[in-house]
Amino acid sequence: MSQVRTPENVDLEVLHQLFASATHDASAAMCRWTNGLITLTLDEVRELPLEEVCAEFDFGSELLTMVVLSLEGDVGGDMILTFDDKNGRSLAAALLGRDVETCEQWTDLEKSALNETGNILGCAYMNALTRLISVELVPTPPYFIQDYGASVLQQALMAQAMTSDKVLICRTRFHREGEELNWNVFFVPTDSMRVAMVEALTVTP
Amino acid sequence: MAPCSETCNETMAVAAVNVCIGQIAVADSSGLLRSVLGSCVGVALYHPHQRVGVLAHVVLPASEGRGGHPGRYANTAIPEALRLLDEHGADPGGVTAKIVGGANMFGNNGPLQIGQANIDAVTEALRRANISIAAQHTGESKGRRITLDCETGDLTVEVVGELPIKM
Repeated sequence: MSQVRTPENVDLEVLHQLFASATHDASAAMCRWTNGLITLTLDEVRELPLEEVCAEFDFGSELLTMVVLSLEGDVGGDMILTFDDKNGRSLAAALLGRDVETCEQWTDLEKSALNETGNILGCAYMNALTRLISVELVPTPPYFIQDYGASVLQQALMAQAMTSDKVLICRTRFHREGEELNWNVFFVPTDSMRVAMVEALTVTP
Repeated sequence: MAPCSETCNETMAVAAVNVCIGQIAVADSSGLLRSVLGSCVGVALYHPHQRVGVLAHVVLPASEGRGGHPGRYANTAIPEALRLLDEHGADPGGVTAKIVGGANMFGNNGPLQIGQANIDAVTEALRRANISIAAQHTGESKGRRITLDCETGDLTVEVVGELPIKM
């Protein structure tokens, strides 16, 4: 059955094009950063009721390792890079050219490797968005956090929840030599960012 | 609204019902209600004699005329929680409240401190309903997982890297 083209899902198609382009840039940056080990693909751009987000994106009470970058200002948003602990440490070890650390606490060097990964991905996305919407975007420094995934996502959703009953989320997945990894990037734009993106991509007759 | 069920872990005798963002759930003495909170505030109302509990997962301070799930806003969640308790035979006069959450997860100091605004709004809504707050674990910058045991009224708060607190 074909999908009915409502204004909302036309917006989503437009946004999907944008994020696919940004993900392509981010994947190239990630590929360079990891010597060809890791690539990214856009998984989905979805709009859904606030109440359904945690269940739909499988954010239960799982503990995650995350790197958060926020875009400050009205036209902004949050980018959250998520890993389970094992995969996060595996990436850090690969980047540092070391064996995976065995002590329970993450070392400063491991955190720094993940933060830098967040920074590289974040800048690639921001550059793609800036080219499109012609607004200077200023990301905060990456913020390393180990906590419940649902707790972090809640905070990221607040800016949208204040003005809308539905929230827009973009999810990107990672691959190592073609194999999907349990890593994700979530981008949660503010409403103003969403409007700016759609306006920039919509051709008016 | 139907809260999504979650399989209990090995230490729990019964399955906990996961109260997702913006939802409210009620349970009798055999029930466990659970939420994971960041900047949201979990409001646990409990009637010790009837052994009925409600958990609301409040997202924002005020509805300001917007519709949607009543559990989403502090000013609509508390009346709805009391209505559910009443529906289950619990007199709102005998209810106590415990509130948890309202963290500032990203640790920034910008003008929008939604966690604190949620704490303030829930506190005010409870005051208006003449319900005293028996205990609270709020603010700071870490997520929390809470479980309301409707047999005892105990609310367990788990924070990553810390020992669980029962209150």
